[in-house]
Amino acid sequence: MVTLNFTLTPEASGRLHDALLSLSRFSDTVSIEARKDTLTLSALNSSKSGYSSFILDENYFSFYEFAPANNNVDGRFTCSILNKALTSVFKSRAVDLKGRDTAIEKCDVSLQDRADEAQCRFIIRMFCGHGVTKTYRLTYEAVEVMRALFDRNTANNRWTIHSKLLKEYVDYFGGKAEQLDIFFEDGKCTFISFTEKIVNSKNQVLKHPLRTAVAANVADFTSFNAQENMHIVISVKDFKSIVAHADTLDTTVGAYYSTPGRPLQFSYSKNGMHCHCTLMTVEDYGQTPAPSAATTAVHSRTTSRAPTIAPAAVQNVRVVAKEMPPPALPNTRKAERKLGQKEPQSKDQEADSDSLFVPQDREDREDRRWDPADYDNEETLGWDASANNEAGFHPTFRDSVSASRSNTTESTKSMPEGLPPTQRISQIKGLGLFD
Amino acid sequence: MRFRAQIQNINIFNKFVTSLASLGPVAWVRLNGNEVRFTIIPDQGTQVWAVLTIDTIFDGYTVQSAANNVINLEVPLASLQRALRSALQATSASIRLTKKDDIPILSITIVSSSLSSTPHTALGANNQFPNGDGNTATQDTDGEMSIDLSGRERETIITQEVPVKVLSPLAIEGIHEPRCREPDVHIQLPPLIQLKSISDRFTKLALLSRPGNSTTGITTMGPRLELAANMHGCLKISIKTDAMNISSVWTGLSNPELDPGQVEGGEEGVREHASTRMKALGDREGRSEEGWSRVRIDGRDWGKVMSVGRLGGRVIACFCNDHALILYVYLPNDADGDESVLTYYVSSYSE
Repeated sequence: MVTLNFTLTPEASGRLHDALLSLSRFSDTVSIEARKDTLTLSALNSSKSGYSSFILDENYFSFYEFAPANNNVDGRFTCSILNKALTSVFKSRAVDLKGRDTAIEKCDVSLQDRADEAQCRFIIRMFCGHGVTKTYRLTYEAVEVMRALFDRNTANNRWTIHSKLLKEYVDYFGGKAEQLDIFFEDGKCTFISFTEKIVNSKNQVLKHPLRTAVAANVADFTSFNAQENMHIVISVKDFKSIVAHADTLDTTVGAYYSTPGRPLQFSYSKNGMHCHCTLMTVEDYGQTPAPSAATTAVHSRTTSRAPTIAPAAVQNVRVVAKEMPPPALPNTRKAERKLGQKEPQSKDQEADSDSLFVPQDREDREDRRWDPADYDNEETLGWDASANNEAGFHPTFRDSVSASRSNTTESTKSMPEGLPPTQRISQIKGLGLFD
Repeated sequence: MRFRAQIQNINIFNKFVTSLASLGPVAWVRLNGNEVRFTIIPDQGTQVWAVLTIDTIFDGYTVQSAANNVINLEVPLASLQRALRSALQATSASIRLTKKDDIPILSITIVSSSLSSTPHTALGANNQFPNGDGNTATQDTDGEMSIDLSGRERETIITQEVPVKVLSPLAIEGIHEPRCREPDVHIQLPPLIQLKSISDRFTKLALLSRPGNSTTGITTMGPRLELAANMHGCLKISIKTDAMNISSVWTGLSNPELDPGQVEGGEEGVREHASTRMKALGDREGRSEEGWSRVRIDGRDWGKVMSVGRLGGRVIACFCNDHALILYVYLPNDADGDESVLTYYVSSYSE
């Protein structure tokens, strides 16, 4: 039997939501690892080229208690939960923080994993205003988690900078670029967001995404120590998402790396939340910050996935981003060697207007009213004769009378009783719960 | 082939490009020694022919080419707009035409001073914020001074590269500005924000009243707005569906006098002009059925045209009954002389 109980303040649960959103960029599932005094949330992407972890220490919780199962040797408990499930539980809380009556006052999380219980569940209780308690019971998969190891001792290039400045740089980038090149030259640290693409026809030229170079003065950095003229190339979207999250914490971000082809780590922490994000860098990118379209095709991630586009270059295709160093605890799974292909990015995140990761331009808001109206997506006032109250908050007695009822709980309960405790996440897909 | 300039009015340039971008993805840009011309010819919908005097947006402008110092480019507006937007807070910005890997690009170099946009108080102090309450980052105003850096050193240089296509003189030979008969009515439009909100509302109503398919997009044809004006300062916008007939009327607008110097035939031409005859018809209240010149336009397309309101210019609408609506948008200009003008050609649909 495993004991895991912890309590979060409203702020902490809101920040947990931000962290979950940031993790969702890497994987659909969140790996959870509980230890005596820390709880780690992490995600590894499918191509194993990006890994993000959030270590929450005792300061993060108002209360934290963990006792491993008796037969457990290393004193840990690990499991994985569908990210969407967790995000939706914590999402509304983040919105309600804006002083509405429904704002939560406390969030209790406990693990139900006992031999005498039929179901193993991750139970989240939100204590809201007016004595309302919302209980969510999430299924989890008791699996071993994979971690990317990063040895900071070998990372001789390191710099730290305030997240605000990094955010400012990222805001200059256009939306569709794919990669980011970081290099240091003449006292300037340059960030270039660019896209490697083969330009087939003349018409494609105009569709090529904007290439943006931001040359920041080293003086902007809190500390800076990096080799000159070494180009470190990572995915710009991963970088943006890390920066966007770091900026919500308003803290200093550190970067650690050694050479191209070896992983790079971004790390920042605040208020008991320690974030480490390890990204694979592109190997052998060479000294050319912007090689011609023809030569970059060889190195392109896109090409390595679909070499038929440029038959002439096929023999030169090589593995660009190697896998991470072997995960520390691959007890259950063995990492496959894969090409560093890009993780298919979820579109929903960018479409989600509540998301942190949609860049909002303050100056533009005034200007927006001049944009052509979007008649297709605009909400319109009308009658809903369907009497379907599922979506959104409706102050019916159904919502307030029960201490443990909400849409989520109901759908969880509606699942067949007596499912085995280690039910696979894939099995619950299609039940209409979170898909 | 050389083109380089300082962008001296980033805000106007950005708004200008944003307005155009709503009508089409790509603009034909023609640069010569006197003016900058942006032309959008979408597959369907409104055409724009915009002429900017150089000093409206540029400073230190140089253009050179083998073809009489004229450069014709095809420019993706979304990328250009994104690039300009990042220059809004800049200390200075310049643009030049260059080549990278055999692809011509418009390179925009932006110098931004981080000091202006970032509170440096946050830089020195970190990891020492009190726990629990996340947003009480103690802002120590004195901490700002503790970072000893001169403003010049802190400049961040941003380079945005917009891929473009260079058009040969042959490629653009056949493109001409639309020609249209003399308008029946010309009138200065009310503030565009009023016109835009009302026409957006009408368009939405018309879409909703359609049987069931307002959101499916089965029909690419938007609802038709009817726009009409007379020579007595009245403008009427209306929408007709099976179920309703709504209209809004503005009165007391001005009908600018024709300049005999601009009209073919001089004084005589003005006397014979269609609009002079229209003056005899209609009234100041817009009650009479006579004296109106009408066009039927696509509501969605009109919403895109209205996007030009962000530039805040004076707009003269010229109505050719049942044929076309031409909008002249004059940009605010301190100096006398040549004005920058955007010309929108909106065609009228038949009933």
